[in-house]
Amino acid sequence: MAGAFDFAPAIALLPFVSFLVALFAGQYLPKRGALAGIAATAGSFLLSAWVAITVAGGETYNEALYTFTAGLDAFELHLGLLIDPLTALMLLIVTLISLLVHVFSLGYMNDEGETGLPRYYAGLGLFTASMLAFVYSDNILMAFMFFELVGLCSYLLIGFHFREKAPPSAAKKAFLVTRFGDYFFLIGVVAIFVTFAGATRTPGAFAGEGSFPVLAEHALADGATEGLNTLGFEPDTWFTILGLLVLGGVMGKSAQFPLHTWLPDAMEGPTPVSALIHAATMVAAGVYLVARMYGFYALSPTALAIVALIGGFTALFAATMGVVKQELKQVLAYSTISQYGYMMLALGSGGYIAAVFHLTTHAVFKALLFLGAGSVIIAMHHEENMWEMGGLKDKMPVTYWSFLSGSLALAGIVPFAGFWSKDEVLFEALIHGFGSEGGLGTAFLLAYAMGLLAVFFTGFYTFRMVFLTFHGEPRTETARKPHGVRWNVKGPLAVLGVLAAIVGFINMAPVRQLTGAHIDFLHTWLNGPEEGGWPAELSTGLHHYEEVLHDFGLVSASYPLGGETGTLLVSAALSLGLALAGVLAARSLYAVPEPVEHTDELGSIKTLLMHNYYQDEYQVWLATGVTYPIARAADKFDQGVVDGVVNGISSVSLFTGSRVRRIQTGVVSNYAAFITIALVVLLVVFGVAGGWF
Amino acid sequence: MVAIAALLAVTLLGALGTFLVDDRHAAKFATAVSAVPLLGSVLMYYVYLTEYGGVGNALLAPGDIAFRQAVDWIELSGFTLQYSVGLDGVSMPLLTLTAVLTTLALVSSWTPIDERQSQFYGLMLLMEASLIGVFAALDFFLWFVFWEGVLIPMYLLIGVWGGPRRKYAAIKFFVYTNAASLVMFVGFFALVFSLGDSISTLGLPEIAQALRAGGALSPLAGISVDQLKLLAFVAMFFGFAVKVPVFPLHTWLPDAHVEAPTPVSVMLAGVLLKMGTYALLRFNFTMLSDVATGAVLAIMPVAIAAIGVFSVIYGAMLALAQRDLKRIVAYSSISSMGYVILGLVAFTPYGVGGATFQMIAHGLISGLMFMAVGVIYNETHTRMVGDMSGLADRMPWTVGIFVSAAFGYMGLPLMAGFAGELFIFLGSFGATETIGALAPLLTSVAMFGIVIVAGYLLWAMQKTLFGSYELETDYEINGAPFHDVAPLAVLLLLVIVLGVNPDLSFRMIQQAVNPILDVGGGI
Repeated sequence: MAGAFDFAPAIALLPFVSFLVALFAGQYLPKRGALAGIAATAGSFLLSAWVAITVAGGETYNEALYTFTAGLDAFELHLGLLIDPLTALMLLIVTLISLLVHVFSLGYMNDEGETGLPRYYAGLGLFTASMLAFVYSDNILMAFMFFELVGLCSYLLIGFHFREKAPPSAAKKAFLVTRFGDYFFLIGVVAIFVTFAGATRTPGAFAGEGSFPVLAEHALADGATEGLNTLGFEPDTWFTILGLLVLGGVMGKSAQFPLHTWLPDAMEGPTPVSALIHAATMVAAGVYLVARMYGFYALSPTALAIVALIGGFTALFAATMGVVKQELKQVLAYSTISQYGYMMLALGSGGYIAAVFHLTTHAVFKALLFLGAGSVIIAMHHEENMWEMGGLKDKMPVTYWSFLSGSLALAGIVPFAGFWSKDEVLFEALIHGFGSEGGLGTAFLLAYAMGLLAVFFTGFYTFRMVFLTFHGEPRTETARKPHGVRWNVKGPLAVLGVLAAIVGFINMAPVRQLTGAHIDFLHTWLNGPEEGGWPAELSTGLHHYEEVLHDFGLVSASYPLGGETGTLLVSAALSLGLALAGVLAARSLYAVPEPVEHTDELGSIKTLLMHNYYQDEYQVWLATGVTYPIARAADKFDQGVVDGVVNGISSVSLFTGSRVRRIQTGVVSNYAAFITIALVVLLVVFGVAGGWF
Repeated sequence: MVAIAALLAVTLLGALGTFLVDDRHAAKFATAVSAVPLLGSVLMYYVYLTEYGGVGNALLAPGDIAFRQAVDWIELSGFTLQYSVGLDGVSMPLLTLTAVLTTLALVSSWTPIDERQSQFYGLMLLMEASLIGVFAALDFFLWFVFWEGVLIPMYLLIGVWGGPRRKYAAIKFFVYTNAASLVMFVGFFALVFSLGDSISTLGLPEIAQALRAGGALSPLAGISVDQLKLLAFVAMFFGFAVKVPVFPLHTWLPDAHVEAPTPVSVMLAGVLLKMGTYALLRFNFTMLSDVATGAVLAIMPVAIAAIGVFSVIYGAMLALAQRDLKRIVAYSSISSMGYVILGLVAFTPYGVGGATFQMIAHGLISGLMFMAVGVIYNETHTRMVGDMSGLADRMPWTVGIFVSAAFGYMGLPLMAGFAGELFIFLGSFGATETIGALAPLLTSVAMFGIVIVAGYLLWAMQKTLFGSYELETDYEINGAPFHDVAPLAVLLLLVIVLGVNPDLSFRMIQQAVNPILDVGGGI
């Protein structure tokens, strides 16, 4: 009897088939490929659920399925699947959101009379397939391959409206910036293979015996460096370098400072695409990758500190920019960057569960917010500026209530999903910041402080957005008479709206601490059985990570404020208080009949924020002000000097030829003279040299 | 086995026949003729895959080589010149690549070539015959005849059917590469004379084995054996590097490409450049592997690697500065071939194997890119970025393939270029035994090519394919005919097939190159 794992490849293959169907036959299908996409993602979702149930039964899967190259005398490269609880969870998230986005697209794309729909659904299908394949990759090379394909799909979908000016440019920027990150990732992949090739046939594997995190751990624990090629570095230094190289790709895809600049531009893509790719899934790929190979990052305190600092800084940095944006999707874009900062903060500061938890809740509520924004944009006839809206609350209640649910989750208000996960992120950073020694603890605390401060901004910009969009009086004619939306828009919103309210209940760690009830299901899910089972086999269990974090990452916890419970309560109160303060501040400023742009009072700071701290400017300058002039100079050099020498040589020979030709006069007496002179010269030479040599 | 002789004979006779056919029928006739070597080589490829599982290197273990045939030809002052041919895992894919690209290039000529057709198609077939000979020949004399034989049709194809500066480009191409051949010839014959009586033929296997055996060389004209090897290596490297081309010997290439008609560019980038790297592999890296790995002069490998890496970055930077689509692709060829040099000099299974795989991959992808640019040119009569925009609106399928090809060029995973580049990087990153401590650094620098290539191709696509439709020339886009687009689709399919299943070629390649790498160690 075939089990769920035998059908697991179909989870990615089904959307791939829908890509082919939409691309080649979409033109002839009733909904231009949408139905194929819905059927495929629904199938994938059901299969993922089956897989998740199987995993819940304690089974995991880690097999090579397809040989990319057998490698002959060297190591082989293969594609394979790794399915453990983390994978199963992510598969569920991706397939669910992809399914909902497909349905929503019926309303956003088909009903709005967009052209080029087969291309659109083909892009969605290919994206979903690549993302799923990335999620259950069993080795880092396969992960890289699908990571890049995900980038391609992002390019294709951001540039969907290719006839306009901005989308192709945004698509180019997205691919280039993430490619810059992937450059480091690729070096990391190659370096990992080179490092571990001598010790195993599968140097790139994520999990199990012979996987690189396990080998690296052995190398540090027992000095088992035989067969490892660390290129002359100390193993711990080299592993840190490897981790940081891979981190380049993570920062690109997960839009972490300074590679975040592509994401706000990516809002040029159709809104469902923003929901699926640029909020819930593709951007998650980076963070997911760190979680996937967490056993490797946990080995290096330096890498952990850098991850945490990047995360904390990005969380705050992006949140401040979200405060001044005027377009609905822009606010959401910056909030996405900021929220992924939290996940990085959690991963860096030893909060593996917290990161995965926040990844889960964020996927739900951010997809919800983007789809809600999409609904508003339909209603507003594709007007995205919040100052042109207002008072939509009564006209579109389903959108409003679900959007509100997502907003409460994003702001981190109890009991909505985001509260639980964000609270856990900050709590982990806090206790590890106090518990870890030296610079590591300081780094964690610094990152924590930035993350905490960002909570206030998050609450503020989220509810500024809610109040401006839905509350008060309509400020324009369109807002007075919005376009209606149909079931295909409302349905996904309702599903996600409910989820955003309740998905936090999968891991109410604080409640567990207070009541002792075992209701931190996610914790149990990722921890696995205490003895034996898949954690022993794969080394991807939480318990193992905690040991590695403690032994090699030098991360330990302490509870400075009245024991574990006390610290927990203080931490929760702090983050909730700041979030509420942000919400209330927004309420007092914007929940008025005729709101004005209070951020104008920020003066030059606002200018700075509106220009995104001039991050785009300097990156554009790097491309057009530095690289391009160098290229021009190289071209001049090539044409002038290198080719100049070549042409010079040919001119010299032509010139000599033309001069030498003159002695060929055709006059016999001249030739006779030459012969005589030559003879005389030869005789003189022989005379001086003394004979025939 | 007369398979190769049959291929050569059919192609040569077909070429002669094409010269005699009327212009109106020449295109179809030549295409039909080229189907014979195409089907023949594909069949041979299939037979090779199924029956010649363990064939090694053609030069080092010629006994069990595939499709071998050797007939004594001429006696010449102690040397027997042979008609000697055969294929191993390196030459088999290259020969197939030649046949595939020739047929597709011929089909893509139907639209742009409208004068002197019988001569054009005849010369194309003549060139195909010579290329088949280059990859199949195992006797130096025979090989050299074919090697030079490629130049003549190419010279005429650029010089007669080329663009406005065709004469300059054709002469530059011919003189440059011919002068290089001369230097290579001198270097090679220095080795042959120094081998003296230990060889009786000019068979490449015999020479290679004698050279690798050691002790067979004797000093020549007062030059010690090591110095002689070194000089010969440098001379041959120079000769072949011009063909590849590597910096600073590359300036003939953009001129030739810009002036050549599209199908000729396809052959030039797709196959002719690979003659250089193929010969480097056969001569420099097989026969004089000790020099290549630094046993004679320690700085040699790192110097060659540095040249390769510099070519990668330099070519990419030049491509970034261009506005002519064809020039962009031409310069990026320099960049891509730089990777091949890096892989060869790494001298590891993944390095040399990857370099060979990259020859095939780049042959397909650059051919595809040139053809795609050609289709756009056929429709718009311009190749300048800035003269057109929004082509996706008018020719969606062509643009779709163009975009796919461009991503293939950028090394998108599951397309052939990624596999080639990945193998090379895997092979060279840890190649500290040959390249030295700089290996990881040089490889990382070379990898930056994947960022620059994305930069210029995405920029060019944004400007020409997307945005609102505008065209500065006085032509109307009618949508390219089927026979213009079909070759693109075929090539794209091949690129994907090879990218998904690189072992279709990579396995036989590794079987052929691993015997060269007797140094051991590394990956």
